[in-house]
Amino acid sequence: MTFNWSGKRRWVALLLLIAGFVVMLTVPPVIPVIQLPGEVWPNGWMTNTLAASIIVWILLILLAFYTRGAMPKGSNEVPRGGFYNLFEMAFEGLYGFVRNITGERYLRYIFSFFMTIFLIVLLSNWIELIPGVDSVGFLHARAQSDPATGAVEVEEGFELNTVLPGVYALDPDCPWLSPEETAVMTVEARIAREQQNCATGTTRVIEGPEALVAGAEHELEPAADSESAEAGVEAAATEAAVAHEGAVTGDTEGAVEEGGRIDEAVEPDPEAAETGEPQEERLEAVHAPTGDPRVPWHIIPFLRAPSTDLNMTAALALIAVVMTQVLGFRALGIGYLTKFFNFRTLLTSPLGGIDVAVGLLELIGEFARILSFAFRLLGNIFAGSILLFVMSFLIPFLPWPFFILEFFVGIIQALVFALLTAIFMNLATASHHAEDEHGHAEEIPVEASAVGEMTPAHP
Amino acid sequence: MEEAVMLAGKAIGAGLAMIGALGGGVGIGLAVGGAVQAMARNPDFSSTIQTNMILGVAFAEAVAIYALVVSLIILFVL
Repeated sequence: MTFNWSGKRRWVALLLLIAGFVVMLTVPPVIPVIQLPGEVWPNGWMTNTLAASIIVWILLILLAFYTRGAMPKGSNEVPRGGFYNLFEMAFEGLYGFVRNITGERYLRYIFSFFMTIFLIVLLSNWIELIPGVDSVGFLHARAQSDPATGAVEVEEGFELNTVLPGVYALDPDCPWLSPEETAVMTVEARIAREQQNCATGTTRVIEGPEALVAGAEHELEPAADSESAEAGVEAAATEAAVAHEGAVTGDTEGAVEEGGRIDEAVEPDPEAAETGEPQEERLEAVHAPTGDPRVPWHIIPFLRAPSTDLNMTAALALIAVVMTQVLGFRALGIGYLTKFFNFRTLLTSPLGGIDVAVGLLELIGEFARILSFAFRLLGNIFAGSILLFVMSFLIPFLPWPFFILEFFVGIIQALVFALLTAIFMNLATASHHAEDEHGHAEEIPVEASAVGEMTPAHP
Repeated sequence: MEEAVMLAGKAIGAGLAMIGALGGGVGIGLAVGGAVQAMARNPDFSSTIQTNMILGVAFAEAVAIYALVVSLIILFVL
């Protein structure tokens, strides 16, 4: 900690820049398979968005302990500098911000939700900016089983390059070709693929690494035959993915014996794959060892920004909206319901029917808020993360302006989510008795308070 | 062939869905334009105006985001 960093950070930055160039040149980016729900890890239940949100929680807990410890104990103690001061400044700024909106009465209740939501959403958004998130992950044989027939259908994917022992990268020059496509491939196309160092499908079979050969005698797991075909196929696919995951070496030995089966005798024969025992043949294709040209590979990222998962955003939206109603009942008692079922003026006023309709619209509006909260955050951050990796793919060396853009989008979306929660909570505490006198003025209470503050300055 | 037609349909549909972003763009432009004018005239109330502006922008943006989500669902889920 006593190391003097002044003047040296620029060299670190330069080194990182050069490392980025080297990585870009040796491992060219491949446009990933874009999927709206979180991708499931090979262990079968953990999604990568859940893994990232666990990291967010751990970071938040650490932040809580850190600020607790760094807080000045007495009034005489000088606060610690650095990150604590930054956090305190942001915290105080936001506290004043919320106080301007809500006033003093329910400030603690509203601000606790405001700040919690702000921090969670902020970290969930910023996780997408870390290099490697969304791009480093498990290798997975891209196959889809047909629920009706049980046949495994392999989809598009890429062949593998070995970067380091045990670490693989998708090869952007070698999109995977199905046996049907290789069967009708022209000689020129075959030569072109051979020059790119890609498999041509019929000329050679790449054998697996030494570790996989050990499991060669091991027969296919009987699960695929005994159970329903679909379940067996899915299990096989995940096993294969675990077996060929390079980065997690601990899992490899156990899984290889189950999943890594090498079929050296079988040349990739298109006719056999198509006609003779299609299910059996294609199952073997899914089980094929690393580097087998017959298998299309894609990547299941270890981590993905939690805000790109509808589960997370919808959960936050539900919490925000439900706790708004709780605060409404706390502030106004059972009378809070008259906001939605407003029959008081039905018989006394000629426009009473409109009040009823407005109340029902408010009720619908509460449910619309859940959707709007959830989809606003999801859409912004998901589009942002797609933007980031598509830009890395299109403009290899210059995705950084988009990282800056996404940095600010992350702040703004976190602020918008938290601010809207605070405003809706403030709305819920607004009394309805004033409504009779001022019409519907407090439907937009922020504006009302703004007008109230502005009047003194007004000439 | 069938898949190609389906892909083309998806691409066209996703593109058409994003027409909805037009309204969001116009709305945000109007909101921010008005807010900047107000702030220029009365800088003392910048913070209040800014709060309201962010709120309005978020609502206007939500519509465009719905279009974006529909478009993403067409592309990656259907």
